[in-house]
Amino acid sequence: MSPPHQLTVPTKTFSQVRAELLDRMGGCSAAYLGAVAISGAVVAWALFAWGFQIVEGIGHAGLRRPVYWGFYIVNFVFWIGISHAGTLISAILRLTGAGWRKPVTRAAEAITVFCLMIGGLFPLIHIGRTVYFYWMLPYPNDRLLWPNFRSPLFWDLTAILTYLTGSLIYLYLPLVPDLAEIAGQSKGLKRKVYRALSLGWTGSDRQWQALERAMKLMAVMILAIAVSVHSVVAYDFSMSVAPTWHSTIFAPYFVVGAIFSGIAALVLVMAALRKTMRLQDYLREIHFVNLGKLLLLMSLVWFYFTFSEHLTTWYGNFPREINVFNVREHGLYGFLFWTMVACNFAVPLVLVGIARLRNITTVAISSVAVLVGMWLERFLIVVPTLATPALPAAWGGYAPSWVELSITAGTFAAMILLYLLFVKAFPIIAIWEYDEGIPAR
Amino acid sequence: MTKEYLHAEFRTGEAAAGAIESLTAAGISKSAMELFSRQPVEANPSLLPRRSRMSLGAVLSAIAAGSGATALVFWIQLDYPLVTGGMPITSGWATAVVTFESTMAGAVFGTLCMMIWEAGLVGSKRRAPVPELPDQGVVLQVQCSGRSELDVVRTRLADAGAERMETAFGSG
Repeated sequence: MSPPHQLTVPTKTFSQVRAELLDRMGGCSAAYLGAVAISGAVVAWALFAWGFQIVEGIGHAGLRRPVYWGFYIVNFVFWIGISHAGTLISAILRLTGAGWRKPVTRAAEAITVFCLMIGGLFPLIHIGRTVYFYWMLPYPNDRLLWPNFRSPLFWDLTAILTYLTGSLIYLYLPLVPDLAEIAGQSKGLKRKVYRALSLGWTGSDRQWQALERAMKLMAVMILAIAVSVHSVVAYDFSMSVAPTWHSTIFAPYFVVGAIFSGIAALVLVMAALRKTMRLQDYLREIHFVNLGKLLLLMSLVWFYFTFSEHLTTWYGNFPREINVFNVREHGLYGFLFWTMVACNFAVPLVLVGIARLRNITTVAISSVAVLVGMWLERFLIVVPTLATPALPAAWGGYAPSWVELSITAGTFAAMILLYLLFVKAFPIIAIWEYDEGIPAR
Repeated sequence: MTKEYLHAEFRTGEAAAGAIESLTAAGISKSAMELFSRQPVEANPSLLPRRSRMSLGAVLSAIAAGSGATALVFWIQLDYPLVTGGMPITSGWATAVVTFESTMAGAVFGTLCMMIWEAGLVGSKRRAPVPELPDQGVVLQVQCSGRSELDVVRTRLADAGAERMETAFGSG
């Protein structure tokens, strides 16, 4: 085994790497089947809860006056944020030529697609009467009514659809050569399916050049799209004249938070893959340490944004804003607020900031803390503002119902389930990208 | 029309680069050559440079999608004037997000279509034979127009260090 600080495995040839990575796709252990069964059961329960809400009505969610945005919107923002793990991180590392990205990118890109699929469901769940979601689409209907294009909710629709499409293509294109490899080593129906998915890839130089050109272009586009998507999610809040929402820094603040939580999700997924798929030779300590440094950087940036946002609110001392500030910082939600600060700032600062402590375990622990902290941050953005309207007599609280809790648990299980199925259908590390390629000059 | 191809396997990219230079010196056009490998052959400039219009395709597609979506939004807003919060019926500010997202969606689709077209993945009329790829190394395919050219190519490839050679036929 080569030293942990090396990025790739120099002792392994391309054919060994290919054989090992394809081997990881085969076979299903009892633990794997158990994980599929448990996550599948939780997803099924969540689907039941959603179906119950559709049939019986949105009143079965815990949404009550004055808090009409609860877990669904919190989860929507959270999952869309995590989706930035993939394409954004992959695109940044691809464009900057970071060599250590190679074993990381596909795992990250898959996170993006799955998170967008999950996050994109929440507006549909939130509207209650889900079957009428198509009213958001501009189509020539018999009453000649069109959607309101000035609504940030319509912007969400266009942004998420564009991001999902772009991310799917960004995940799919570099998969094509690997799909051809799998087809070449398969028989029967499996061969036909993978052959069709590989679009007749032959490995010609013409195809390699087109693929590499397309990936560079896509990386640039996906960066712009990813930033725009979370900005649009922030506009959902900042376009409303609500205390602590109507803020000019909300869009960059959300983008920073998204990248932050995205890195944490990526670290956790990588740690799980490393352990369960025996990828210790590929996902090495250096990858975790490098991602840990990125996590620490984003932690500092997040703290800077949070401090700026809260200092401005506190110093301005506008009655409506300061009420929300007080409730959030040392009122009903104070404990959650300081837990968020500890999770998002203190834990990464200590565990990843101190070089001696920085290893796979501490980076993974910090990532769990950051995910908890970022979920709390989304909750603290959404709920306290709504729970503290202008008239103190109208102040209220929010408690999620079993339907909301079930659907929330189901989305986490869905993420695990989708990942479990993905790693058995496709190589989780890009085989052709893992090496440096074939040097010719 | 059936055409004859020669496939030569090289252990390294450098050897394949030498073979291409040798064939070019012998008057064989680079358009008659193709490289095949399991991994991309890294060279700057590339061994067999090809003109690409992928960026142009992406930009044109982006412009078409962005302007089309913007025009649709403006037409719809004028067709069914919806007054919201005292805003003007049509507004560049409020349409900017839709314009941007549809522009990017156009660019993404344009890139995908150009990639598929330039890579010859779908709808390609070229039916050149596909060589068996070695685990490591590169296969150089040369389309030969006659017996005499085939002999010249074979000699040059052998001199350049080809490890294995075989002829194949395709419709070109």
